[in-house]
Amino acid sequence: MLEQQLVNGFTLGLIYALIAVGYTMVYGVIELINFAHGEIYMLGAFLTLSFISMGLPLPLAVLLAMLAAAAIGVLLDIIAYRPLREAPRLAALITAIGMSIFLQNLAMIIWGSRPMPFPKQALPAFFSEPALTFSDVTISWMQVIIYAVAIILMIGLNLIITRTRVGTAMRALAQNQTAASLMGINVNRVISFTFALGSAMGAMAGIMVSMYYNTMYPTMGYLAGVKAFAAAVLGGIGSVPGAMLGGVVLGIAETLGAGYVSSPYRDGVAYAVMILVIIFRPSGLLGRAVTEKA
Amino acid sequence: MRGAAQSLKYLLLAAALAYPLMPFRDVYVLHVLVLIMVYMVLAMGLNILPGFCGLLDLGFVGFYGIGAYTAGLLTIHYNMSFWVIVPLAVMNGAFFGVLLGAPTLRLVGDYFAIVTFGFSELVVLFLTNEIWLTRGPLGIPGIAPISLDVTWLATLMGIDERWRYAFRGEVPYYYLAMVMVGLVFLVMTRVEDSRLGRAWLAIREDPMAAASCGVNLFAYKVIAFAVSTGIGALAGAFLARWTLFISPDMFKFWESFLVLCMVVLGGLGNIRGALVGSAILIALGEVLRVALPKLGLPAETRFLAYGLIMVIIMRFRPHGLFTQVAESTMQSSLIKDLRARIAARRTA
Repeated sequence: MLEQQLVNGFTLGLIYALIAVGYTMVYGVIELINFAHGEIYMLGAFLTLSFISMGLPLPLAVLLAMLAAAAIGVLLDIIAYRPLREAPRLAALITAIGMSIFLQNLAMIIWGSRPMPFPKQALPAFFSEPALTFSDVTISWMQVIIYAVAIILMIGLNLIITRTRVGTAMRALAQNQTAASLMGINVNRVISFTFALGSAMGAMAGIMVSMYYNTMYPTMGYLAGVKAFAAAVLGGIGSVPGAMLGGVVLGIAETLGAGYVSSPYRDGVAYAVMILVIIFRPSGLLGRAVTEKA
Repeated sequence: MRGAAQSLKYLLLAAALAYPLMPFRDVYVLHVLVLIMVYMVLAMGLNILPGFCGLLDLGFVGFYGIGAYTAGLLTIHYNMSFWVIVPLAVMNGAFFGVLLGAPTLRLVGDYFAIVTFGFSELVVLFLTNEIWLTRGPLGIPGIAPISLDVTWLATLMGIDERWRYAFRGEVPYYYLAMVMVGLVFLVMTRVEDSRLGRAWLAIREDPMAAASCGVNLFAYKVIAFAVSTGIGALAGAFLARWTLFISPDMFKFWESFLVLCMVVLGGLGNIRGALVGSAILIALGEVLRVALPKLGLPAETRFLAYGLIMVIIMRFRPHGLFTQVAESTMQSSLIKDLRARIAARRTA
């Protein structure tokens, strides 16, 4: 039983990790909690649904949804956050919550407020079958695919951040925006790229969750966003490997907490972890100690 | 101009006082007006933290809920009088405020916002799951109303039968809410001008400078937290004894955001602004609640408008609608000016 829960918790954790990297990258670069990131995750699922119902094959629908989510992320920055770069930080945080509510309600208007199933006929039949069975532990093909996609995306993300010019520019911005711009880095372009990258990963997480649980609803981004943010805080906000580790730890903690402690409080695990980490170890597991700029 | 604004204010106040006694009064409008007054109290209470102290509190609704449940449970189980319950609820709210505040007040900015947010979510989870205490998602129905039926007073004063309605039903609630708003407003304006209020403003503008001038940051922040959460609980206690039904759904994060919107709309740190912000947003919400279903949209989509309004206000008036120039802008322009002078002197 424990092993099965670890497997399920790990699946959930990888999904949190995929969303958490979006939070942490944006926070690293512009020090803003992008509250609307959970809504991008939700939009990823619904856009895939719409593309499939337009008759596109699954891989193309997923790819288009990721691209669309990336574009929405960039637009979000341009419309809501860029004009407020010099404004008080409170203003940007409030705008972020405003955009989150706006996108959530927009989705409600477009797709309705009731939960929708993921279109079954678009998924290959073997997805729900067990891929591996060890005595009483089963890993379904769906879980294998989540592992594979999440791990490939994260390796790719790390390569982009550490090996490419734009990745170097992102890290430079996170260190010191003024100095980076003096070195000839186009600050806004790099920030847009950060939003695009984080949003595409978040959308993929939303798509995989809606396949895994076979449901999607306009408010799904709220809770997932909070949990992913808790994961980012746990790992050390601003640190990409930290967000990945935090996501996995939180996913496992939540599953075990629900299984062995109290299932009604499964969502409470994330809040409790978040509060305790912020109070006792604000720099998180892998974060460097930061003194917050007021 | 100033005189005109002043007379308009008194005119509005007189209209608000007289409205429930008018023959054309409407029960629905009365309810909305009482609701506006509850949110006015909430907005003034929340304003203390982000407005006066510069601490973004996203968990205010948690204390509103604590106040409401304290009042509701005490009424249901012990049938206590409203006048006993109010101080108990306020104390309970302030107690939890200090409990949360003491370890978190050294946090600033986003971290503080997130911890308060997490706390309010935990409150909702507790209210939903501790069924033995709160009946969970079913909520608590049948809370006794405040004993405000003062028709005996009308008899005593020999008041005509036609005016008796002013002594029972919604009307006494309406006036009680007005008294509550008036008292909180009075306290807040007095506090703003006091040593306490100045210390809060100093903390908002520059915590380091305030500390080096001898302001005990921790003590003043804890006081701010206790006063703010106490006022939140007061509004909750009134709500419970007015709607006569409470459930965890009424204290979700969106309520926090709504109250924050009111404070920000009016201008952070501006007490009168908080009043105007509450009136505008609740009235707008009611208009949308009626208008949206006619367009075939669920009434919940009114949050779409709220979200958009917040983004637009922040974009064009980051200091709120009614604040001319916020102190922080003045300060930063002062600093810019100083820097420019220093630079000029160096080059000279």
